[in-house]
Amino acid sequence: MNRATLTLLVLLLVCALSLVAAQQRARKLFISLERAQIEERKLNQDWLRLEYEQRNLSKSARIRDVARNQLHMVPISPERTLYLKEAR
Amino acid sequence: MRPVGFSTTPNLVLRLPMWRSRLMLFMLFFVFMLLLIRAFWIQGPGNAFYEAKGVRGTQRELELPASRGKILDRNGQVIATSLEAKSVIAYNDTVPDDLAADKVQKLASLLQISEAELRKKLREERKQIFLKRQVDPEVAQQIKQLEIPGIGLNNEYRRFYPEGEAMAHVVGFTNVEDRGQEGMELSREKELAGHPGARRVVVDRLGRVVEDVAILQLPQNGKDLQLSIDSKIQFLAYNAVKNAVEQHHASAGGAVVLDTQTGEILALANYPSYNPNDRKKLTGEQLRNRVLTDTFEPGSTMKPLTVAIALEKGVITPTTNMAIGAKYLVGPKPITDTHPYGNLTVAQIIQKSSNIGTAKIAMNNLSAEEMWNFYTSVGLGQAPKIGFPGAVAGTVHPYKKWMPTDQARIAFGYGISGSLFQVARAYTIFARDGELVPLTIERSPEFKPGTHVISAKTAIEMRSMMESVTEPGGTAIKAQAEGYRVGGKTGTAHKLVGKGYGNKYRAYFAGLAPISAPRIVVAVMIDEPTGGSHYGGDVAAPVFSTIVSETLRTLNVLPDSPIKQKAMQDQSPTQIQSAAVKTNTAVLKR
Repeated sequence: MNRATLTLLVLLLVCALSLVAAQQRARKLFISLERAQIEERKLNQDWLRLEYEQRNLSKSARIRDVARNQLHMVPISPERTLYLKEAR
Repeated sequence: MRPVGFSTTPNLVLRLPMWRSRLMLFMLFFVFMLLLIRAFWIQGPGNAFYEAKGVRGTQRELELPASRGKILDRNGQVIATSLEAKSVIAYNDTVPDDLAADKVQKLASLLQISEAELRKKLREERKQIFLKRQVDPEVAQQIKQLEIPGIGLNNEYRRFYPEGEAMAHVVGFTNVEDRGQEGMELSREKELAGHPGARRVVVDRLGRVVEDVAILQLPQNGKDLQLSIDSKIQFLAYNAVKNAVEQHHASAGGAVVLDTQTGEILALANYPSYNPNDRKKLTGEQLRNRVLTDTFEPGSTMKPLTVAIALEKGVITPTTNMAIGAKYLVGPKPITDTHPYGNLTVAQIIQKSSNIGTAKIAMNNLSAEEMWNFYTSVGLGQAPKIGFPGAVAGTVHPYKKWMPTDQARIAFGYGISGSLFQVARAYTIFARDGELVPLTIERSPEFKPGTHVISAKTAIEMRSMMESVTEPGGTAIKAQAEGYRVGGKTGTAHKLVGKGYGNKYRAYFAGLAPISAPRIVVAVMIDEPTGGSHYGGDVAAPVFSTIVSETLRTLNVLPDSPIKQKAMQDQSPTQIQSAAVKTNTAVLKR
């Protein structure tokens, strides 16, 4: 066995091992990507749910009830409003 | 006898026949050949079957979910949204027959069905069956914790409508398959619907995804839709109609608010209404979007249109004096007024809503063709093209078929039909100095040019006549809105019951505000008011007043009628003004 063959053999071995390592890494990365995507979906759903909740809390019917009954406010009327003209 | 030696035996001398070993050899060869052919077949031409089997063991096709688009109001507030909701599925061949009784009981109570019913469902022949669709998240979690083999949870979306009853007729609703059934959900189904995608993945022994093979189809989420409706205005219009219907013991009511500058529909309210979140009650009369789908004889709300034709033609002016009298005979039945009048000017005919006066203007000055052309040009007799399911066209019979009696009655709104929406649209010509505005239900806040129908002069004259309707001496003082000059026309139409006019009425008011620079057109209809007055001026005009003053305030429109400033309790107006200026400058400095 001469030197060249030996070098090539070593090279081959190194390549083979790195291929295995790369594949392993690819799978690991893929799994974490998968997890991140599931997380993204979940967060997206949470956002939609929160948006819906916020809407539920801020809808006109509720604001009216809270303003009238809890804060004892009255609707504005033009006679109790001061209209300011925009300065030109 | 020959001696027999030890090293020989006669048996060995005997030779076996050659063919036996040959046969053996051939059979062995044959069997090996068979194996070889089989091996060749499996690896070569017959491979596809095994490959498919191998793929099935390690690869799966997964659905990539897509969500339905949201519906937003003009300010970006959510009025319909899809949230995830799990559905409970039973895979009946996997569910064990000897399932523990307490688990069955728990599952049944979580699904809100009886134990017997659940057992019956689990025994069904079908491979998989929905036990319940779209359960609440907490319930789904509890079912998961029961860990019953063969009971699975499936991801689905459920539609939520935060505005509930107030917005029901505008947005509509979807069915359990997430397809639009009514309202915008139905008419914009194509844009709103999402299309799920699919991908192929490699899974390991435990079913975990380890590798993406290919995306077969990308998921497409539905597009969001932004409407021109303002939830605040919608809410106050809905409440105003609801209160009036309850107060007057009416059978139904509706209102529509249009922005005259942009042609946007700001509110479209109907009562009775329904809750689109409650899927069990989505049937019957309450689903009707009366503003768009009910046609009626517009009655007196037609008069301003008729008078406008004559003004435009130049044959009368607002001050033209006319003899009215107690009866006007056209055809077999005389036309009458609620009160007999002697002489009225054209402006007073509108103000007092005189049937005889309007009929006389039409009969003396206008041809049937002119009237038909005008009514058609303001959109009567054609379904409004705003992309709403079930919007009706109403009826305007061809003028060639009009008898004189028809013409006289059509002039004040009988023998012709349209929806409240059409009346509101026709009234935009008075608001926009003679232009008919194209309407839209989608947000588009830019000024829209309209089609020219009458001159600005006629429109302005009509506006002041319509304002006089709401002033002392008019039929609708109750239409006056706080802070704003308003104008409009009442209508009280006898309802057709069977062949004749019965004792049922519809009360309307259609008008615009503020008169100095009209920003909105509002039309109100209250159906079959009972108990007390049934006149448009008493029943529908107050609703108009509420909607107008609150809408204009919401839109930040400056009042155009003189207001008596109420003294503020602790500060004089000037003090407030200087304080306000200070805050303003402070804001500006920031």
